[in-house]
Amino acid sequence: MTTSLPFVLANHGFALNFNVFETNLINLVLVIALLVYFLKGFLGGILERRREAILADLKDAEERLVTASKALEEGQRELAQAKSTAEKILAEAKQRADLIREDGEKRTIEEMARIKQDANANLNAEAARVIEALRAETARTAIDKALAALPKRLNDAKRAELIDRSIEALG
Amino acid sequence: MLLHLPLAELEVGHHLYWQIGNLNIHGQVFLSSWIVIGALLAVVVLGTRKMERDPRGVQNLLEFLWDYLRDLARDQIGEKVYRDWLPFIGTLFLFIFVSNWGGALIPWRIVHLPSGELGAPTADINTTVAMALLVSLAFFYAGLSNKGLKFFEYYVEPTPIMLPFKIIEEFTKPLSLSFRLFGNILADELAVAVLASLVPLLVPLPVMLLGLFTSAIQALIFATLAAFYIGEAVHEEAH
Repeated sequence: MTTSLPFVLANHGFALNFNVFETNLINLVLVIALLVYFLKGFLGGILERRREAILADLKDAEERLVTASKALEEGQRELAQAKSTAEKILAEAKQRADLIREDGEKRTIEEMARIKQDANANLNAEAARVIEALRAETARTAIDKALAALPKRLNDAKRAELIDRSIEALG
Repeated sequence: MLLHLPLAELEVGHHLYWQIGNLNIHGQVFLSSWIVIGALLAVVVLGTRKMERDPRGVQNLLEFLWDYLRDLARDQIGEKVYRDWLPFIGTLFLFIFVSNWGGALIPWRIVHLPSGELGAPTADINTTVAMALLVSLAFFYAGLSNKGLKFFEYYVEPTPIMLPFKIIEEFTKPLSLSFRLFGNILADELAVAVLASLVPLLVPLPVMLLGLFTSAIQALIFATLAAFYIGEAVHEEAH
């Protein structure tokens, strides 16, 4: 352009030049308009799709989180239930074990007592039998001794005395 | 080269020089780079300030970009170490992409500089060479930090005959990376400028749209190749 102002400025420093032809402004505005028009559709579409995909992913993840939380809750509830059931069973088993042990102890004690009684009875019977036998033996021995001694010690006087005493005893 | 045409001027090889010490740096590249970096930072900060579970607007766009770059880095570098290099690859891609599109879409010529003109930072060879050299550094760093000295086996595999070619390749990699990007973007800017200087209305439009397409592709190519090189450096041979 041959206007004098830009020419002067061209040699003397910074300036602004709004000559539409020198600055190619019209073409630039057209290019930018075209670019904005196409990019809005193209890039805007891509970005919108990307955003929707991300939001869908997030929603999906959130839903899965909710489902998983529910499952976790359910599982924990079941676990607690199972624990309490297990405790109950354990307590019952303990009770039953105690019962069985007590019963067993009682029965053992009874059995032992019975056995002891039996043994005592046996012992007494045996002792009685032995005593009886000893008594019989002693009596027999005494009678034998008496019978052996009798002929030597027995004379007529004594025989009469004995008869008298026996008669007295009878009387 | 100066074309004197009735409608618009076309300047190539003119730069806004800033002098720092002994260095003459291209000021217009720094200005547009800062604008690009600022725009990127602004978008990222805005998009991540209020993160929500429902990705909306800028956050959604950033997440989409991150997904895209993650897939790119993972495909090229591999599952094992791609996380270390995702920020580098992502930064390269985003900076190049925003530079290219910014250069093609922002009416830079509204701001008139004393010399040179604003444009895509990637249309300057210094920018692309810097990035390509960073990629080379990343290649060596990735290889050495992952495999130690065993990394140099890469040069004699599958056979030692490859050694000279692989060494030459280390020089051609940054060269091709930088020249591809710089050439494409500069050519696009020039084609648009030349067409605009000849026929100011409508005729440059197809070239501008094509330029948008190619510059997006260039960003993708640069990032993919950078990731591929790094992946090559950390690649574990299946013994």
